[in-house]
Amino acid sequence: MPADKDLTAGETRLSADQTAPEVRLHGEDEVGQGSGLRDLAGLGIAAGLFALAFVIYSDAASYPVRRSYAQFGPEIFPYLIALGIVVLAGITTVIAWRGGFEARARLNYGGLFWIVAAIVVEIIMLFAGSGFIAASTVLFAFSARAFGQTTHLLNFAIGATMSTLLFLLFRYGLGLALPSGPLERGIDLLLR
Amino acid sequence: MDTFFLLFEGLATAAQPMNLMFALLGVMLGTAVGVMPGIGPALTVALLLPVSLSFGATGSMIMFAGIYYGGMYGGAISSILLNTPGETASIMTAVEGNRMAKRGAGGKALGAAAIGSFFGGTFATLGLALVAPFMVSVALSFGTAEYFALMMLSFMTVSAAFGGSMTRGLTALFIGLTIGLVGTDKLTGQVRLAFGVPEMSDNISIAIVAVGLFAIGETMFLASQHINHKTKAEAVKGSVWLNWSDLKRCIRPYIRGTGLGFLFGPLPTGGAEIPTFLSYTTEKRLAQGEGRRDFDEGRGAIEGVAGPEAANNASAAGTLIPLLTLGLPTSATAAMMLAGFQQYGLQPGPLLFTNNAELVWGLVGSLFIANLMLVVLNVPFIGIWVKLLTIPRPWLYAGILTFATLGIVGAQGSAFALILLLGFGLIGFLMRRFNYPLAPALVGAILGPLAEEQLRRGLMINRGDWSFLVTSNIALTIYAIAILAVFGPRIWAFLRSRGTGRSSRA
Repeated sequence: MPADKDLTAGETRLSADQTAPEVRLHGEDEVGQGSGLRDLAGLGIAAGLFALAFVIYSDAASYPVRRSYAQFGPEIFPYLIALGIVVLAGITTVIAWRGGFEARARLNYGGLFWIVAAIVVEIIMLFAGSGFIAASTVLFAFSARAFGQTTHLLNFAIGATMSTLLFLLFRYGLGLALPSGPLERGIDLLLR
Repeated sequence: MDTFFLLFEGLATAAQPMNLMFALLGVMLGTAVGVMPGIGPALTVALLLPVSLSFGATGSMIMFAGIYYGGMYGGAISSILLNTPGETASIMTAVEGNRMAKRGAGGKALGAAAIGSFFGGTFATLGLALVAPFMVSVALSFGTAEYFALMMLSFMTVSAAFGGSMTRGLTALFIGLTIGLVGTDKLTGQVRLAFGVPEMSDNISIAIVAVGLFAIGETMFLASQHINHKTKAEAVKGSVWLNWSDLKRCIRPYIRGTGLGFLFGPLPTGGAEIPTFLSYTTEKRLAQGEGRRDFDEGRGAIEGVAGPEAANNASAAGTLIPLLTLGLPTSATAAMMLAGFQQYGLQPGPLLFTNNAELVWGLVGSLFIANLMLVVLNVPFIGIWVKLLTIPRPWLYAGILTFATLGIVGAQGSAFALILLLGFGLIGFLMRRFNYPLAPALVGAILGPLAEEQLRRGLMINRGDWSFLVTSNIALTIYAIAILAVFGPRIWAFLRSRGTGRSSRA
């Protein structure tokens, strides 16, 4: 799509004569051209889309048959969506095969790992009944680490303060039910 | 005159002490979150979506209006002082605004932005109040075929207008449509794509989808970049108050920007991007005297902030026209607002105006009030918002993540919601990484189930005959508009790239 390339070039030129915005925007194309090589990640996306279409199709095929004036039941929309995804997956395959995806910036695996770990640990702690404050503290500390803040003790301290304040605000100010652990039950007892 | 009566009643609703408080809270929260670097209005609304749940329909809608405008203004602050526009709408503000901040006139840029937002927002809201009843009277005659066509229009335009490639826009849309399938079918009770998980047989809350795709995905994306997260903000120098000669320079850009924004806002071409760009290029071309020198010498011209900021807010009000009268979101933020309505089981559209007149006009009234609050409160208190910019980024983003999960856990009341949130976060991250637009996914997830309902209702009435879709003239007209809207931006992009090439050489 030549028009798209032009658009990208236009935006790049526009911001090139000053310090470029450091955060890329939704919808703004990555600067750089496709390498012309086969894009394995792109092929992966296409494969994922094919798999998704198959899951939707097989789910819809398992619905019991209903007689209706519409002649179509709850399976018609899933079938249409699965069909659309198959077509798009096909186009994606062609684009990836020709190397049509833009070059991507090198991935900082460490940062990504810490963010995912932060959320996973929070989920585990909440299921284990640690309560909101403790789980949120860990989430805060881990995600601060993800952005390169290595002052771990300070991270935990700030996280604990912020989580406690948020808990008080939301539990007593807005009446939202947040998961309770020993700490939260203690606060409830104290404030009652 | 009926409209003015309703508008007056709406203002009276919005002026009730409780509602004033909601508006104030919304404006403050919206500005506070919106001012954070890289976070635009859409993300602001997504983050605060679960929080507003506990205030009842009218209260939370009014708070929403405040968050919306507050988020826009907060985005302008970080664009000017940090050069980190949170979404395409504020790119143009960042260009001249950041230059002004660098030469020590950041205060004036902020002042011009605040007054421009007020000007654009107020007049466009007035326009909204005048146009909406007319749109409603047209929309009331719509049947299933017309509604289905409207949703197709929304799908096509949202996929075409956001991001570069149509394939990616459509892929994002279909991912959203798939998300919309999960849960219990409204018409037959058939459970779809739940894989035996009880939390998924109820439909997935749109708040989880929105916060996951936008907030969590965005945080992951930022963390995965090799950039230094410790950038300094420009200090605010100079008074934020505009003197008479500044105002004289701004007034024409305000008027032109408002006109452009209001004109383009309701069109399904992706919200504020086109009007702000048009406004910027217009001001750059028309500037004379001092403004001409400021543009040419790269000192940052106040006109280049005033016009786009007025256009930005005017288009926000314009976006509300199709959203409120037809239920069609034409921008990411509008899609978030639609999700907000759906939290209360409200479906925007012509019926909302007849069934929930008080809510709708209360919302319109509170748009005026939120606008006024912004300019009255934020110009003097700008220092407080700027303080937020000095928080080190790692703690800032960690705080945002904490806030996002808190909202979801609190609103859903289960830790399982977090697993879904993580899943959508990873999808959002991959989409950002591979440059898929997020807005179509959200619109697909919201409108997909509604489109399906219209389609199957129509099929039921017409006994399985598909031809009802194309026998109505109104529906055919809408399809024609859809095709125009899809190819229009492509022609526009072509012209725009040529225009930019010229202006950067000048």
